Amino acid sequence: MFGKLNWSAIPIDQPIPLITSMVLILIILGVLGLITAKGWWPYLWREWITTVDHKRIGIMYCLLGVVMLIRGFSDAIMMRSQQALAIHAAGYLPPEHYDQIFSAHGTIMIFFAAMPMVIGMMNFVTPLQLGVRDVAFPTMNSVSFWLTAAGALLVNMSLFIGEFARTGWLPYPPLSETAYSPGVGVDYYLWAVQISGVGTLMTGINFVTTVLKMRCPGMSYLRMPMFCWTTLAASLLIVAVFPILTATLAMLSLDRFFGWHFFTNTAGGNPMMFVNLIWAWGHPEVYILVLPAFGIFSEVFSTFSGKPLFGYRSMVAATLFICIVSMMVWLHHFFTMGSGPAVNTAFGIATSVIAVGTGVKIYNWIFTMYGGRVRFSVPMLWSLGFIFTFVIGGMTGVLLAVPPADFLVHNSMFLVAHFHNVIVGGVIFGLFAGLDYWFPKAFGFRLHQGWGKATFWFAIVGFWVTFAPLYWLGLEGMTRRLQHINVEAWRPMLYVSLFGVGLLVIGVICQVVMLVVSILRRDELRDVTGDPWDGRSLEWATPSPAPFFNFAVLPNVEGEEAYWGIKLRAIETQHLSPEPKYEPIEMPANSPVGFFTAFFATVTGFSLIWQIWWLAALGLVAAFAGFVVFAWRDVHDFHVPADEVARVDRARRAAREAEIERLAQQGALP
Amino acid sequence: MSDEELNPLFHPDGSAEGGDVAPGDASEESAGHWVLNSNLGLGFSIVLTVAAFVLAGSHIIYGPSVPVALIVLAIAQMGVHLVFFLHVTTGPDNTNNVLALAFGILVVFLIIAGSMWIMSHLSHNMMPMNQLARMQP
Amino acid sequence: MSDLPATVETLRRLHEDPHRLGHSGHGREGPVPGTGHGESGPASKRIIVGYGFWIFLLSDIVLFSCFFAAFAVERGATNGGPGIRDLVEMPRVGLETGALLLSSYTCGLSFAATNAKSRLWTQVFLIITGLLGLAFVLMELQEFVSLWARGIFPQRSGFLTAFFGLVGCHGLHVTLAGVWLATMMAQIQVKGFRPEIVHRLICFNLFWHALDIVWIGIFTIVYLMGVGP
Repeated sequence: MFGKLNWSAIPIDQPIPLITSMVLILIILGVLGLITAKGWWPYLWREWITTVDHKRIGIMYCLLGVVMLIRGFSDAIMMRSQQALAIHAAGYLPPEHYDQIFSAHGTIMIFFAAMPMVIGMMNFVTPLQLGVRDVAFPTMNSVSFWLTAAGALLVNMSLFIGEFARTGWLPYPPLSETAYSPGVGVDYYLWAVQISGVGTLMTGINFVTTVLKMRCPGMSYLRMPMFCWTTLAASLLIVAVFPILTATLAMLSLDRFFGWHFFTNTAGGNPMMFVNLIWAWGHPEVYILVLPAFGIFSEVFSTFSGKPLFGYRSMVAATLFICIVSMMVWLHHFFTMGSGPAVNTAFGIATSVIAVGTGVKIYNWIFTMYGGRVRFSVPMLWSLGFIFTFVIGGMTGVLLAVPPADFLVHNSMFLVAHFHNVIVGGVIFGLFAGLDYWFPKAFGFRLHQGWGKATFWFAIVGFWVTFAPLYWLGLEGMTRRLQHINVEAWRPMLYVSLFGVGLLVIGVICQVVMLVVSILRRDELRDVTGDPWDGRSLEWATPSPAPFFNFAVLPNVEGEEAYWGIKLRAIETQHLSPEPKYEPIEMPANSPVGFFTAFFATVTGFSLIWQIWWLAALGLVAAFAGFVVFAWRDVHDFHVPADEVARVDRARRAAREAEIERLAQQGALP
Repeated sequence: MSDEELNPLFHPDGSAEGGDVAPGDASEESAGHWVLNSNLGLGFSIVLTVAAFVLAGSHIIYGPSVPVALIVLAIAQMGVHLVFFLHVTTGPDNTNNVLALAFGILVVFLIIAGSMWIMSHLSHNMMPMNQLARMQP
Repeated sequence: MSDLPATVETLRRLHEDPHRLGHSGHGREGPVPGTGHGESGPASKRIIVGYGFWIFLLSDIVLFSCFFAAFAVERGATNGGPGIRDLVEMPRVGLETGALLLSSYTCGLSFAATNAKSRLWTQVFLIITGLLGLAFVLMELQEFVSLWARGIFPQRSGFLTAFFGLVGCHGLHVTLAGVWLATMMAQIQVKGFRPEIVHRLICFNLFWHALDIVWIGIFTIVYLMGVGP
């Protein structure tokens, strides 16, 4: 009846997961109770759960990402402390639990923290920058989000019901095959990632179509802001490589469920084929993460230097170059598997070549600052920290791209330090810069600068104190994923690294304090004009927070840096352009289909993990029925009356007129 | 709205020129043209399919070249499908569609050729000693 | 930001700098024709839907390419069991190919009928398409069952796993497309040619042809090259 599920799945005998999950369940119940007591459900359902507004969906993505970032970070704290405590000692985490922790850390950080935040930024910003009212497929966008959330839910359920994979964040066979991992841990991994992967794929399709087919009048390709280009490149990569992930994990599931032999080490299966396929997805995946971050930095450098982005066209070329070449380098993750000199050399060279594209970008950012009026606001600090950190991470990457050198440090702590160096320094710093940069556009007030700066300094110093010792340990020969350490010489560096984690914890606390302080003092941080940073692209042409229809009238772009041109003209003539004729706007109607799809996906995924076949079938049928109901509906969109559009836009115009007035009174205008 | 939407030539600003066409949609629209295309596609496909089946089962051409011939025929037939059934053209209204197609073909090529290259080198290098010994003349 | 925004600074420089050294040519130029598409704003829903589905097809083809790659790599891994030559029955493959090719043709005709706004002929051609697809799936199913009866199943070897994986993945796609087709025919009957239904027909048309293209790869690489001399 219930497949493999029974009471022994609850970890009664393991205090750490039991207490953690109890606390989490209490928190969740508390939040749900609060929402019920306050009567917020109708509001949540109407404005958030069923929303198809790209900005709301983007905010929910970011929220999911931040929550999961904290979950992944607590795994990291446990790993660092276990290693510091387990030198010639037992530590506090038994091996089977420690293995789950490092697997969960990687899985959560990549799939459920970094990806949702990156996609959240893409969602929130891209349509605004393109000057349109929504993405190409608004309802599908909501399905994407909820599927990602369903995957995150499944991963976290493994804490309380059953176990998580002990195979690392990529479940290499034969370890992940039934013979060596008979439990449900790998199945949790497979179905959580599979479900969220489908959501990500739909996001990719959505954004390729949005960028290529939905641009406001005059927004030709070479007038798009850099972030739109990186969104396009990342989405193309998603479309190109997420199917590989789907196929590979499906093959592994077939092996595990039905005893097939794609990747077994018996009966002619080929475990190395899994490694090959998963990295054909895995390497482009890191570029999917980092390219939008590059886009964020491009926006930040240009805005806070008060200058156009240096070498815009070379930046576009470098982005597309990286997009293509990133699919030709995957073997460098398994140089040591034994493909021989010809193959290793080819992929080693390709890997080094891809650094050229990144190098072009780094120089462009530096030259953007040159001669500019640089303002050291929080987003700019993250961006400068990024250049410093990422360049070092990139150089260790080029080192690892040399096969003979890679043979020495493969799977060592050096590798761990390297990829944290590029992913934290590149992606996470970029996301934090983006959060600070676009926060006013989302909520109408800026984040507190002082606490933001404190966060930055603790984060960057904490990062280096944590990971520089790991480089050292890797060169000393320490391999990754050690639960127990018996080399006394590594003790000092492991302690230093743990101290660095402590600094990072303070950084996280500063981040939370920054949020609380900003909310409490939101009135003095209010962004009245909708253009808090003196921005250059179209998202700053809307009020803050942006109305759900984004633009009262679709802007007409007449050059690069669309909004900058409009703003220069307005300030020079001391008048806005004449009031346009407002017309009713057609907007897509809300839809619960995303929520229901994700609900049934969770049910199906959970029942497949525990092999409750009837429930899985039921979930699939219900999901299909849901789609049919959706396809059958008659009302797809609703009209926003012209009066409402006019009211919102006149308020915006009044604020802008007042700003021009203020500048004129200062005598600043020429 | 709906009448305009039914017309593939419809463009929001009213200009059909320089616009795009959805994949599988055609710019010069008439049922007759569409049917003609389908007939041509079916004819070419039948010829190519029959040729492939005949070649595979016989010794008409030099044996080792059969796989190559089969692949050529398959690619030709895929092209026929793209042109006559999916209406992919080289016109400016199709640029985006063709670019996406080219990107897809590149990815497919990279995955299949890359995997085969990597895995063949790997199985050669990693062959167990007894099998390696058996391969020696 | 308070005090002087960079905008003002830029304007001041422009005025003090007659040679415009501080100005790199952005923002104040008129429209530059021919710098790319999109001069006319967002595309129509029809194009957006069709293009989005085209991109989905691209990703689906990539999915198939993984199964093709697995098949290519594990083709020889028969583990002492049956090889590809023991599997292929040419007449059946021929019939399957014929059914699918013909269904592609009728699918194209159905869309021609849609463009001519003939509901009857659209439905007739769609049902022929669906029946041919069903025939294909049944033939494939029968093939699998008869192989199973001969002790040829995926658990036997890496090669058979890859074979059933690739061919089965295609068969599953055709089955799902059939379910979609049935749903949509009901929709056309109830709702007629609404724009969104016509958009879905464009997508279905694309999907069905793409499945035929994948089948060309399968019958060539799996079956015909398997029996080759």
